[in-house]
This record gives sequence, C-alpha cells and structure tokens, in this order.
Amino acid sequence: MTHPDHIKQLPEYIALTRARKRIVWPLSIAIIGAYFALVLAMAFSPASLGTPIASGVTSIGITLGLGIIVFCMIITGIYVIYANRVIEPLTRAIVKKAGELK
Amino acid sequence: MKLKSLLAFSIAFSTAGAWADTATKAPLNITAIVMFLAFVLVTLGITYWAARRTKTTADFYAAGGGITGFQNGLAIAGDYMSAASFLGIAGLVYTSGFDGLIYAIGFLVGWPIVLLLIAEPLRNLGKYTFADVASFRLQQKPIRILAASGSLVTVIFYLIAQLVGAGKLIEVLFGLPYESAVIIVGVLMTLYVTFGGMLATTWVQLIKAILLLSGASLMALLVMAHFGFSFENMFAEAVKVHTKGAAIMAPGTLVSDPISAISLGIALMFGTAGLPHILMRFFTVKDAVQARRSVFYATGFIGYFYILTFIIGFGAIVLLLNNPDYFVDGKLVGGSNMAAIHLSRALGGDVLLGFISAVAFATILAVVSGLTLAGSSAISHDLYSTLVLKGERNEKKEIRASRIATICLGIIAVALGIVFENQNVAFMVGLAFCVAASANFPILLLSMYWRKLTTRGAVVGGSLGLITALILVVIGPTVWVDTFHFEKAIFPFKYPAIFSVCIAFVGIWLFSILDKSANAKKEEAAFDAQFVRSQTGIGISAAAEH
Repeated sequence: MTHPDHIKQLPEYIALTRARKRIVWPLSIAIIGAYFALVLAMAFSPASLGTPIASGVTSIGITLGLGIIVFCMIITGIYVIYANRVIEPLTRAIVKKAGELK
Repeated sequence: MKLKSLLAFSIAFSTAGAWADTATKAPLNITAIVMFLAFVLVTLGITYWAARRTKTTADFYAAGGGITGFQNGLAIAGDYMSAASFLGIAGLVYTSGFDGLIYAIGFLVGWPIVLLLIAEPLRNLGKYTFADVASFRLQQKPIRILAASGSLVTVIFYLIAQLVGAGKLIEVLFGLPYESAVIIVGVLMTLYVTFGGMLATTWVQLIKAILLLSGASLMALLVMAHFGFSFENMFAEAVKVHTKGAAIMAPGTLVSDPISAISLGIALMFGTAGLPHILMRFFTVKDAVQARRSVFYATGFIGYFYILTFIIGFGAIVLLLNNPDYFVDGKLVGGSNMAAIHLSRALGGDVLLGFISAVAFATILAVVSGLTLAGSSAISHDLYSTLVLKGERNEKKEIRASRIATICLGIIAVALGIVFENQNVAFMVGLAFCVAASANFPILLLSMYWRKLTTRGAVVGGSLGLITALILVVIGPTVWVDTFHFEKAIFPFKYPAIFSVCIAFVGIWLFSILDKSANAKKEEAAFDAQFVRSQTGIGISAAAEH
C-alpha cells in the first residue's frame, strides 16, 4: 500500500473530507445564490429594486447590495472560524499520524 | 441606449475611456508631487533592501514564503483596489448611483469562492504559479504552455489597460505629458520587480493599501459627518440634487438584458479566481492556514473599501453638483472618473487633494508591479524552465530569465500603452476577466477536484475556452463596433463569459472522458495522492529552496 492510501483510511481523514463538504457546499450555495438572485432581479425587474424600504428614499436594491457586501465578509468569517475549530485539529492529527506511518 | 449602457460598463473597468476625451493638462499640484516623490523614494529604498535579500527563485517569486496571513491579505486587497476600481466605481456611483454598486458587489463575491474552493488546495499543491497546480499530475509541458498562455494574455491586457489609464490620470492630475507618464510608471514598475522581486512588490503593495484605505476612510468619514452619519439623509440629499432624481436608487442602464447580466456576473465572480497575479500571492505565505487567513482579511478590506467608495460617490453627488467650480460647460472637469479626486478638494482643500492624487498614482504603480511579476514568472517558471531548461534545476538561470522577462514585459507594456493611447481599452480588462474565467479557472478548479481530468481534456477544453473568449470579444460590440467601427456586432453581447466558460467546462469534460490512453489512466490513478496532499498539506513545498 502506498502512503496516500494509508492516509485515506484514517478516521480523521474521512472526518476531514466530510467536515469540509459540510461547510463548503452550504456557504458556496449561499453566496452564489444571493449574488445571482440580485443579478436576476436587476435583469428582470429593476424597478422593484428601486422601491423605498420605509417612508424615506433608501431603496431595497441599495440595502440588498450593501447587504451582500457585508454577507461576503460574514461568510468568510464563518468559514475561518469553522476551519480553525474543526478542520485544523483534524488536519494536525492526520499530519501527526502520517508521520508515524512512515 | 444600449451602446450608452455598454460604455458605462467600460468606465468601471478602465480608467482610460472617459479621460481620453476630456484630458486637459492641469496646473502642477505641488503637494501631490512632493507626496508622490516621497512615496517613490521610500519604495525605491524598499526595493534596494529587498534586492539584497532576493537571491533564490523562492525569494523572487514568493518572497521566501515569509509573508504573514495578515500582510498577505492586505497585499491582495492592494492588488485588487486599483485606481480603476477606486475612481471608476466612485465615478459610476456619481453618474448613476446604484449602478456603481453592481460592480462593487461583482468584484467582491468572487472572494468567498476563492476561500472556499481555491486558496488552501492551491497553497498545498503549488510552489510559485497556478500552473504548478494544474500540471501537478498531468503532463508538464502542454499544461504549463497552456496555463502560461492564459496567464500572459490576462496579464498583458490588464497591464495595458492600467498603463493607459495611468497615463491619462497622471496627465490630468500632474500636468505631465501622456508619454512621459507612461514611461515613468513603466520604468518604476520594472525597477521594483527586476531588483526587488515579490518582496519589494509586496511591500509596495502594503504601503499603498494602507495609504489608500486611510485616504478613503478619511473622505468617507468627512462625507458621513456632513450628513450627520445618516445614510438616509445622504440618499435624500443626493436624490434632491441629482438630475436623475430617485432613479439613482435603482438599477439604471448598466445591466440591460438577462444574458449580459448573468454573463457579467460569471466573468466577475469566477474571473477573480483565475487572475494570475492574485493566485500567485498565495505562495508567499507559509501554509494553508495562512492562505485561509489571507482571504479573510482581504475580503474584509476589499468589502470595507467598496463601501467607502460608495459613500464617496454619493458625497460627490451632493457636494460637487451644486458647485460650479468643478464644471466646464456643464461637465465635470476631467470626466466622471475624477469625481473622487474633486471631492477630496471639496472636503479637505489642496492638502487632501494632493494626498489623494499621490495615492492614486501610487496605486497604479503597485498594481502594475504585481501584474508584471505574475507575467514574468509565467515566462520564466512555466515556459523557460520547462521548454529551455527542460526541467533541469538551475536557480541562477531561472532567476536571470525572470529578470530579463520583467524588463521585456516592461518595454512591451510601455510601447503598447503608448500605441493604444487613444483606443478604448475597456475591452482589454473585460477580456482579462473573461479569459481568467474561461481558461485559467476551469483548468485550476477541475485539476484540483475532478479525478477524471486528463491532459488531453485540459488542453483541448482550456484552449477552446481561451480562443472562444478572445474571438467573441473581438466580434462583440466593444471591438467590432467601437474599435473597428462596423455598423453592427456579429456577436451581440459584450460579455461572452456565459458561453466561453460553458464551452471550456464541456470541452474539458468531454475530451477527458473520451481519453482512453494509458496516460489518462496514470493521471486518474495519481488523483488520490494529489487530493490527500491538497487537503492535508502533507508533502507541501515550503516556499523555500529544497
């Protein structure tokens, strides 16, 4: 058996790939979905984005647009926190075991 | 109407277009010149310091791997916050409000994707360029040639656009003739990169990022103070004075049809993940943890910066539109891209004007340096070392090749910058993003995640994406109508990304699964080892010699 095949069977490695899928898929879908939802709204119904949000002039479009900018920052923040808490310990355990396997 | 909206597209992408017609030489601004000279002196000092530490290829391409995640995040933000995006987005907000925000969002949404899918495996698999990753388990020669071509096309078009924009901007700001401005920028960027490599380029980028963020923060703070720190007040005042009235609160003419909207969205989102000068920055940090941290900081800085730019654009609407000093014949002096520059004078007099002008100049210098470095490493690390050295390890020869490549790139870029002075160069930046999304991104993504990718699939599909993007841009409205002056474009959409990206992915998929060669089997078998390394970093090359 080659080296990567050993690593692939480690429980930590299986947990690592699962943990990554669990975070990468939902976050990717969230940001792509939010962005293309706004793009499609701009393409098909631009006027509705100009509707004021309350009694003033601030529109739904401006609020959503600034919201997506903040959302990008939040998504990267969530991922980094999750990666540091869940992915890093697993990676370190794998690297340690891989060292012992040699 | 359609053409008008397409022209508006170009504003945010290129600093050149709008200045071309209105560039009148300004009186010399002494504050700006003194501040700019100080910046040049400091950065040349840094280059001297960096040159003494740049001895190996690892130093030259990746600053020896010694950049921290925070520094790298700031440097990435610096690469991304070009004068085009600062002045272009502020100018677009000034002319049409909401439309400026579309670009700000588009430029930012690629970053979570880079973080989630690209940054960590890229660092774990590569050494200096993204071709390292793409050719990890595929055949070196064809893949490196393809990846280097994609990189060079992206870099050269981006570089010309920035240089032409720079020439125009400097002409307006400092009253220097266009040719001298382009030559000064070209000489300085060549000096930084040739002698200081990635170390000098990164520090120039860091200093400029801090200056730009401070300047923009101060301006946005002064604008918000003017409106009692209320967005609602700011928007209400803007709607009152703007000729378009409440229309500036909604999408205008920028995104006119669904195909263009989606295509632009794809080009911006996935083009970001295929820009070679950005990808290269991930090799300057120690490991995947730092790469991850880099993107977190970069996204924060870039997002914050775009919010500032948005505020500055609205500030310009209210503070400039009522002041006849800034207008000649009912037009803003120097064109709408000068909105942020004029606003700095309205807010803080000649001192702030000088500071912001100098920062804009510094920004151009830093961005073109990063691009030049990415181009020269594609030539020396991917082409020269595989084709001429044929895989032989020779530090001295490779580093000399990259320095010669830098000087050649500098000369070519300056020459093309002068030749293209009066061209609408917006299509070059559009093309750069489109090529990055259609050729670089699919190859990079699939090489990291798709087991069945073969050399044949990557070469055929990647080339198809690259060629389709180039052809569709040439026969599209920007080049066919605006540059060649034909009546009607053969291909009706300005952004072909939706087509070229699909063609690239389908081509790669089809030619990979049809590939039954022995090579294909070997490449598939090598996937597991590569994937384990991409996920864990085991076997990673430190960005140091080994």
